[in-house]
Amino acid sequence: MSGASAAQTVTILKELGFTDVVSIPDGESRHLYQALLEEESIEVYLPTREGEGIALAAGLWVGGRRPLVVLQNTGLMEAGDALRGCGIGPGIPLVLLIGWRGYQGAMEGRLPIDSAYPYTEPLLDAWGVPHRRLMDDDDLEVIGEMTALAVSTSKPAAVVYGYGFRP
Amino acid sequence: MSVERLDLFRALAARRTDEIVVTTMTATLQWPLVSQHPLDFDFLAFGMGHAADFGLGLALARPERKVIVLKGDGGLLMSLGSLVTIGRHGPPNLLVLLLENRSYEMTGGQELASGADFIALARGAGIEKTERIEDLPGFEEAADRLLTEPGPHFVVVPITNSEPLPPVNHTDHATRVTSLRRALGVD
Repeated sequence: MSGASAAQTVTILKELGFTDVVSIPDGESRHLYQALLEEESIEVYLPTREGEGIALAAGLWVGGRRPLVVLQNTGLMEAGDALRGCGIGPGIPLVLLIGWRGYQGAMEGRLPIDSAYPYTEPLLDAWGVPHRRLMDDDDLEVIGEMTALAVSTSKPAAVVYGYGFRP
Repeated sequence: MSVERLDLFRALAARRTDEIVVTTMTATLQWPLVSQHPLDFDFLAFGMGHAADFGLGLALARPERKVIVLKGDGGLLMSLGSLVTIGRHGPPNLLVLLLENRSYEMTGGQELASGADFIALARGAGIEKTERIEDLPGFEEAADRLLTEPGPHFVVVPITNSEPLPPVNHTDHATRVTSLRRALGVD
């Protein structure tokens, strides 16, 4: 596994009609973040915490935009109340692109295992947020699948990436 | 000096035309007493402390329309970083009216732990147009300017409330979202 291409990901996001990205970058998403900043057709907003970002994205969507939220799993854990109140509860179809901190280390058998690793997918399951894994370019189609699912169900849906984006 | 909240709301409602008004916590209980408008949005229970973040998103999405956020100081303390984000990304059509009562009124009036200077915090976060309005005549004098002048504006109004609070509105959250999108012509 090598991680997905940031450039290809941005192309897909444009094709899917995303107009805005709300993101607090992490180490794994830094190339994606840079590629997004260089893409003129997508506005990038940088909140200070992930719950704030989810509420901002909800406002964008209610106002008619198509936002994507990019956050790390640790930020997802911080943002639980915002995801409940601004996504799951009112049926706002936010699409979340979630960095899975701890995944690569766990797969490589590194110890200690990051405590953020084991809770990521079970947490999404507990919230009833459907999710798919994005590990390399062959998985990029899951972004479209989860975007379509979010729209068709009027609920948030997530893509979880386990490796850092390549440029 | 302070302003009775219902008087403040009456003064605002009398001047409001096609602005979106986002309310949260006790503002959701009293704003409907003075306004029944399709562009009113009750944010109660959408996310603790995040009404201004939601309003920021709305304002960015709808640059042609002013977005007014009526929120309290307890809620702001839950998401102080919002000021930084508004300082960086806040559009000209955003007006945050901070209803300062130094308490968690919704839960029984417990005193806030902080005596923070919210104007200083907002300025330090990069919001240039900040002001403190101490009384009703001051608000009535400033209101038309705040509704028309490009912002973003962050305005602190010390408030009191001597009126009994109406019961909490338990309408469905999805319906609130759908109604606002319809009013905005999005759906």
